[in-house]
Amino acid sequence: MLRYIGKRIVYIIGVFFLISIIMFTIYNSIPGDRALTQVAPIKGKVSAETFDKMYQDAREKLGLDDPLPVRYVKWMGNLLTGDLGYSTYYRQDVVEVMKTPMMNTVFINIFATILALGITIPLGIFCAVRKFSKFDNIVQVLTIVGYSVPAFVIGLIFIYIFAVKLGWFPVSGMNSPNFQGNAWEAFLDRMYHLVLPLAVMTCAALGGMTRYVRAAMIDALRMDYVRTARAKGLKEKVVIYSHAWRNALLPVITLIFGWFIGIFGGSIIVEQMFQLNGMGRLYWVALMNQDYDVALAMQMFYVILSLVGNLIIDLSYGIVDPRVRINK
Amino acid sequence: MSKKNTEKKPSSFVIMLKRLFGIHQKETQDIFTEEQVQSPMRTVVRNFMDNKLAMTALIVFLAIFLFVLIAPVFMPIDLSFQEGTQANIAPGRDMMKIPKELQGNIASIDGGSTFGVGADTNGKVYVWGKTKISERIDLKDIPEDMGKIVQVSAGVDHILALAEDGTVYSWGNDRLQQVRLPNDIYREGKIIQVEAGYQLSMAVTDEGYVHVWGNENINDVRVKRKQQGTIAKVVASGDSVIGLTEDGEVVHLGRSESDIDKIPEDLENVVDIAACSTTGAAVTEDGEVVVWGNTQKGQGNVPEMDGKVVQISGGRYHFTALTDTGHVYSWGDNVYGQSEAPQTEGITNIYTGYYQNYAVDQDGNAQTWGLKGYLLGSDELGRDVFTRLVNGGRMTITIGAVAVIISTIIAVIVGGISGYCGGKVDIVLQRVMEVVSSIPFIPFAMILTVVVGNKVSETMRIFIIMLILGVLSWPTLSRLVRAQVLAERESEFVTAAKAMGVSRVSIIFRHIIPNVISVIIVTATIDFATCMLTEATLSWLGFGVKLPRPTWGNMLYGAADSVVIQSYWWRWVFPALLLSICVICINTIGDGLRDAIDPKSNDR
Repeated sequence: MLRYIGKRIVYIIGVFFLISIIMFTIYNSIPGDRALTQVAPIKGKVSAETFDKMYQDAREKLGLDDPLPVRYVKWMGNLLTGDLGYSTYYRQDVVEVMKTPMMNTVFINIFATILALGITIPLGIFCAVRKFSKFDNIVQVLTIVGYSVPAFVIGLIFIYIFAVKLGWFPVSGMNSPNFQGNAWEAFLDRMYHLVLPLAVMTCAALGGMTRYVRAAMIDALRMDYVRTARAKGLKEKVVIYSHAWRNALLPVITLIFGWFIGIFGGSIIVEQMFQLNGMGRLYWVALMNQDYDVALAMQMFYVILSLVGNLIIDLSYGIVDPRVRINK
Repeated sequence: MSKKNTEKKPSSFVIMLKRLFGIHQKETQDIFTEEQVQSPMRTVVRNFMDNKLAMTALIVFLAIFLFVLIAPVFMPIDLSFQEGTQANIAPGRDMMKIPKELQGNIASIDGGSTFGVGADTNGKVYVWGKTKISERIDLKDIPEDMGKIVQVSAGVDHILALAEDGTVYSWGNDRLQQVRLPNDIYREGKIIQVEAGYQLSMAVTDEGYVHVWGNENINDVRVKRKQQGTIAKVVASGDSVIGLTEDGEVVHLGRSESDIDKIPEDLENVVDIAACSTTGAAVTEDGEVVVWGNTQKGQGNVPEMDGKVVQISGGRYHFTALTDTGHVYSWGDNVYGQSEAPQTEGITNIYTGYYQNYAVDQDGNAQTWGLKGYLLGSDELGRDVFTRLVNGGRMTITIGAVAVIISTIIAVIVGGISGYCGGKVDIVLQRVMEVVSSIPFIPFAMILTVVVGNKVSETMRIFIIMLILGVLSWPTLSRLVRAQVLAERESEFVTAAKAMGVSRVSIIFRHIIPNVISVIIVTATIDFATCMLTEATLSWLGFGVKLPRPTWGNMLYGAADSVVIQSYWWRWVFPALLLSICVICINTIGDGLRDAIDPKSNDR
């Protein structure tokens, strides 16, 4: 097991470097002079010679005159020591820029994940147990609709109904402007703003996940041990929750872990739609404003998330189910 | 022959419809005949046709697909088109729908940007069309007790009416004081004509004096002191104002030297004038039409006319003329059909405004041509949502289809080789698959469109978007193909092919792949939906196809604004609805295909 983990980690590091080279090359092929952007604000305020000198200093500092491999090694070194670069848009270190959005995204996604899992797992089990009943058929049609309709359309519909027509919730934003109150009131205010985004995220996730849970549960219910359990005269509840569900959990666990990884990534669509200051929106703003240090750092962050996520999913199989413990 | 064969068989279409609604009775066959007559493919088709939901989805999707494929041929899109007076208009085609009570006794009519106003011979005023200017202002709120109205004039968002006793009434949008009458309006004689322009109002008195109020800057209007007291009639277009003096001369009532200022010097004995944008037109006593100014939209192409011209009227970019034989002619810009005058006789009066034309005959009945309205409304730049929807649909579906073809080709090649060859080739290709699938899709597609897309032309950019979507979405299908090929690799027909010396490539792509084609088709169908969704998402975020070229995704760009969501619902409802219906249909078709190919999966 340990050997397998070690092997996977070595492999992940390899892939990480491979992707980082691709990304670095792509970002460096973007037209534009980063040194010029950095010194542009002081243009005209100082004499032409001083400006030229400052520009050259900036070029040197950013290493724009080095060959690409040298710059890559420098950048990688900085990245590994935690220096992600400088944001030209926020005029701050990238690490500082990323702090608040990261907190927000994690905050939002914890609720979204709990909600989505809390609804889909019972619903999926219920549908599997009563498959082809009227209720199940309706849910099946709804889930197709759920995973077909893009999240931004769900968002538009929700805003139209709940924010514009009924006026229950705010259209966008994370807090009331100039909000004053103690921590508990601030929390309530934030939750009030987050109701609609959370509802949209849950709805968008509902379709695919319900189908997944249902399929896993149907597979489990078809097994011989379920028949044996029933033949023994066990209560249906025990059969479903203790015999079938435990086995259906195996494929579902991958889903859950996948979701927890997504917590940090944030949803570009929902955050952009509701103007939430999260990771997804940060990435959007960075790309829109040619703030490439932020964009590149976030891209690498996404890659790490996805690689670590895959590793955790693989390992979680072994943890949940002793039968598939990997011994390779 | 047996009786059965002579019976008339229903056509295949009827059978299909019957199957669709589940009233078709299958002929029962014993198992051997059924095995004999049905190839596996036919079984799949039959299974699929029996699935009512999937068949409905297929028909709906095909209908949408054919429509967006064919309709753009008849509705070509002009990407640079913009029209400020036509922004954010609600759906409906009632802009020139004259009320029944008015037909038969029309005294005066005028067409506004999106509405019409008319007065009957009893002096009662009617307003029709898209009259809602904003949440609070509605042009249908006609002032009460106006007396007998003899002339009406419609601007872009307000209306002027002149009563028999010379009193002026105005209502509508007052943001630039175009509705607020000046205090001295009745001082320089009795008012004989009112004219409403673009956020601008004018009144002419019987002493030749012109009153001007409203937004005087955007229209470039100023009546010089020496011109005051000589004017008999004024006309305003969206940009400028010209006047006709009592001596039959044309004068420009403005400051700047625009195109309309170039009035021909030998022009005299003018009986009627008209203006559209910065173009002027005049009719002389001899019935000749003279046009000057900016004639970019064909305003200068005066057609051959039957008889002497007696009256002329100008719209936004076109002119309409009436001859003494009672015929009407229109020329100039024709985007809304406003220059297609009907072939009729006995017309006594013409009224033109913006994109509308009204021709009134002796009986006081009006015929109309020009802009009736927009089926699905118009957007913030005055573009027809329906046209954009159709053209955008073609773009979205094309991008989705090409992307899925690219991804399927890559997936089949990589999956086939990887599965069949095994060994080191397999390991390398597997790693490549993992690298591609561990790149986060939407963020990476966003940065790629920024990096690659900014240097190239718009068409090239669209190709690049297709390529990016295709190149990033193949690993899922590739894994499936690989697994299927692995399963088929050891079967007898492959061994036989090997023994006959068939080449490896040929074994993979001509012997094995056709056996796993069903899996490929199902996954490709569902990938098609995913690719359409991804394109829409990218365009919605502003990183896919750029405006003004429409797709269903970027038509929703900027729609997450409470004003748009509430007041201009037609701008987001229709693209969102069509996109969702399309994707739902494709996913249902994919599900149906899977069930049809593998009936066992039905249990899941």
